[in-house]
Amino acid sequence: MTATFGRFLILASVLVSTTGAFIAYAAGAKRSPEGLKWSQRFAYAFAGLMVIATGVMEYALITHDFSVQYVAHVGSTQVPLWVTIVSLWSSLEGSILFWGFILGIYIAGTTWVNRNEHQEYMPFAIGTWLACGAFFSFLIAGPANPFLSVNPVPLDGPGPNPLLQNHLLMIIHPPMLYLGYVGMTIPFGFAAAALLRGRLGQSFLRPLRASLLLPWVFLTIAIMLGGWWAYEVLGWGGYWAWDPVENASLLPWLTATAALHSAIVMERRGVLKGWTVTLIQASFLLTILGTFMTRSGVFNSVHSFTQSAIGPTILIFLAAVLLFSVLLLAFRIDSLESDGRIESAVSREGMFLVNNLFFVVFTFTVLVGTVFPLVVEAIKGKQMSVGRPYFDAMVVPVGTALLFLLGVGPALPWGKTNRKEMLRALLPPMITGAIALIIGYAFGVRNALTLITLFFGGYAIHVTFAQMWLPLRQRLKKGDAFAPALIDTQLRRGRRRFGGYVVHAGAVIVFVAIAVSSTMRTQEEVTLTRGQSTTFAGYTVTFLGTEERTEPHRRSTIARFNISKNGQPVTTMEPRMNQYAAMREPVGTPDVHSTIGRDYYLSIMNIQGDQVGLLIINVPMVGWIWGAVLLMGAGGLIALIPMRRRTYVVVPESSPTIDDEAIA
Amino acid sequence: MIATFFLLALLQIKVPDAAQFVGQPQGRPLAGAQLEQQTMAISHELRCPVCQGLAIGDSPSIMASNMKAQVRELLERGYTEEQILSYFEKSYGQFVLLKPKFQGVNALVWILPVAVLAIGFVLVVSKAKKLEVEPVHAAAEEEPADDPYLARVREMVEKP
Amino acid sequence: MNRTVLIIGLIIVAAIVVVLFAGLGKDPQHIDSPLVGKPAPPFALKAVNTGETIDLESLRGKPVIVNFWATWCVPCYEEHPTLVANARQLPNVQFVGVVFNDTEDKINHFLAERGSAYPTLLDTNGKTAIAYGVGGVPETYFINAAGTIVAKFEGPMNTEILQENLAKAMR
Repeated sequence: MTATFGRFLILASVLVSTTGAFIAYAAGAKRSPEGLKWSQRFAYAFAGLMVIATGVMEYALITHDFSVQYVAHVGSTQVPLWVTIVSLWSSLEGSILFWGFILGIYIAGTTWVNRNEHQEYMPFAIGTWLACGAFFSFLIAGPANPFLSVNPVPLDGPGPNPLLQNHLLMIIHPPMLYLGYVGMTIPFGFAAAALLRGRLGQSFLRPLRASLLLPWVFLTIAIMLGGWWAYEVLGWGGYWAWDPVENASLLPWLTATAALHSAIVMERRGVLKGWTVTLIQASFLLTILGTFMTRSGVFNSVHSFTQSAIGPTILIFLAAVLLFSVLLLAFRIDSLESDGRIESAVSREGMFLVNNLFFVVFTFTVLVGTVFPLVVEAIKGKQMSVGRPYFDAMVVPVGTALLFLLGVGPALPWGKTNRKEMLRALLPPMITGAIALIIGYAFGVRNALTLITLFFGGYAIHVTFAQMWLPLRQRLKKGDAFAPALIDTQLRRGRRRFGGYVVHAGAVIVFVAIAVSSTMRTQEEVTLTRGQSTTFAGYTVTFLGTEERTEPHRRSTIARFNISKNGQPVTTMEPRMNQYAAMREPVGTPDVHSTIGRDYYLSIMNIQGDQVGLLIINVPMVGWIWGAVLLMGAGGLIALIPMRRRTYVVVPESSPTIDDEAIA
Repeated sequence: MIATFFLLALLQIKVPDAAQFVGQPQGRPLAGAQLEQQTMAISHELRCPVCQGLAIGDSPSIMASNMKAQVRELLERGYTEEQILSYFEKSYGQFVLLKPKFQGVNALVWILPVAVLAIGFVLVVSKAKKLEVEPVHAAAEEEPADDPYLARVREMVEKP
Repeated sequence: MNRTVLIIGLIIVAAIVVVLFAGLGKDPQHIDSPLVGKPAPPFALKAVNTGETIDLESLRGKPVIVNFWATWCVPCYEEHPTLVANARQLPNVQFVGVVFNDTEDKINHFLAERGSAYPTLLDTNGKTAIAYGVGGVPETYFINAAGTIVAKFEGPMNTEILQENLAKAMR
């Protein structure tokens, strides 16, 4: 019964999204206000159907209705309620339904926010979103249908993928990732609308940028959570292995970041419109590519879903969207370019161009490295690998260049400047850079690249803070009161700018923390017998013994260690080995003792009787990465917060510089 | 080391040896910290065959630790990095090398990004040249809001 | 229309689609062995169950099936009966088990419980396994009478797969 109802909802949403897409495109072509109204209604209807369908699935999961195939696959009466709830995204079919749910909410939300605005573009945007919605509805209705019926109805199920239950981060990471991935559909729709219209007006930049920034924030957090999860679970003390699926999440983030930067030049100078739109389209395409990578079974990854039949379907969709984007760009890109100009290559706008170049090279390198083994196998029939040493060698210089730009770019003034002014802007931060370098050296950093990163990082942080508070200083100089000036410059009018620099500050910390944590880490493998101790990196580790614990879904061996420093007890650490019924190899859960400066990481390699093979890792600054990425997300959100409803004022025509930024 | 060989000979035990595949050691035997460091370095260039894309240096699996032990032993005996990598390549194929060799089709994975950087650089410079015009004195200031006219507009807008 | 954009775009589309399409349906876990068609790396190891030393080179003249396994490997339990049954039925084929990272006690216990029909050798540090390019266990290599590896199979064996690969070694 539930299954039938679910199937009905999905079929209805296929119908609604397809019809809606046609209506919306027709409304766009005819510029019909009535047609726009109808396309909005279809957008809401699509969202409604997706939300209800997901609700039905959750209901089936919670009530353990094993007549529904997905529940029979991932449900179990043995697991706690929260596991049951999150098992919606624990397996392929459910995760696609969840995707549809998020897509529905994004579409309806954006449609509603812009219900009275941008009427010129909205029909095409809604049409594009609903076309994507139609594809995902089709996927849910056909190749990845979670609502199939099972007969006879089993009494119990196996429960979701044990990895999902292994760590809390596994619960929030996937929704964050979907919010980022799915959200890229929205700017894609806007970009397609601008191309279809052959125009990208100044007022349309705001929704375009905001719709890109929101999924960017989610994706930023999601990538970090994925790394954090790997760090907490995989047991080798690293957070990034350049695994194809990790790369898949990074690729759209890189192009979206590039697009957010080129959008600033577009806004200020009216140039790079076609380029920004291209980057936005690439971001969406890369999310689809990422979906293909995770779900086709073509790539070897710790994160991917096993065996699935939807690979070909996603590939066809990817090909169709690629073709659509290329044709749109080819036919319309020239009509977007306006008569804007930049004044000097060695200026802030020049740096934006270089920034974009490096982001594109970064993206390209990661993409090539990820798919290259497939290319070689297709051509030569031989297997090969492209792994971490390659990516480290290729990407680290690009990353360092980006950090350099992050420091120098914002220090350079817009437009043309003279040499003196430029030196005045560029020289003082060098002192901060030198201080950072010296501090690093004092702490024992000897790796040349890390020292360079520290120098650039100090430089960039100086510039970032100077820029961050510049408007406030200007206001104070004019004699404004501190508090109102602070609120106005940082949180109200200058909010976008301030948010942007908060993101930059976070990014600088991430760069430095990555460089330090990857080059300054030390590790040791030891075998300890019960009662035995070893001293490593300042701590004495004493093996106290093991304990077996049986839980409904797993059997764990917990090894207990006493950690002390100079004879003073610090903490007890309990890394464990978990044996899940459904998995061949045991999955370890390392234990991490985090302090502000460094993490002390214990991972069990093997346990035999009274002996434990232990990997001890001492790694500085890892925790800073998680915190700094959250800071980046917060900066993005600050820049996003809408001020108040826009009030329209009549601006005299002679003042073209006044636009949304000043008014909104 | 010698004792082990002796013991093996006694039991008539013989395991496949690197010498059969890559010849005699061409380097100098390593020991101590240098040995550890080099073992670590090479372990990060070899892919763990049971894991998913991890290096043997990062993998907790049994096969990976065997391979690590083998790397260490070969270094102790004076094999060079190149010889060790080629020893593993002989039995596992290029699959085992996480850092593709700069030869044949594989060279492309190194060349392409550099080519894109070079082409991109040329494009950016030419684009910047194209966009760059004689200085029309910039109207857009860092803080357009300090403009008295804009301040008036804002006042109008922000008035409830 | 911007022809440059169109041409570059279409090239990118074609390249991505072709490459990904070629990748569909392959098993990313599978590793091709470069040793197929090459002489089998020689080894002489002590059989845990019989006590004798088995030298691969002395087995020339008949097909050899080398099965790498371990008692800590779950799928190995699954394939063991198949191997034992086939070894009993095929007297002209030499079966050899090679176990690594395991103890004699555990192996003998395993064999006593589940039957043994051929020598099972102990490869203490997995050196033989490394020379053969073993990824995980179980993994089985088929060697012909001339001592050349003709096939490799990853994962638990069943009779059908065994026959199919053995046919290559019989040729």
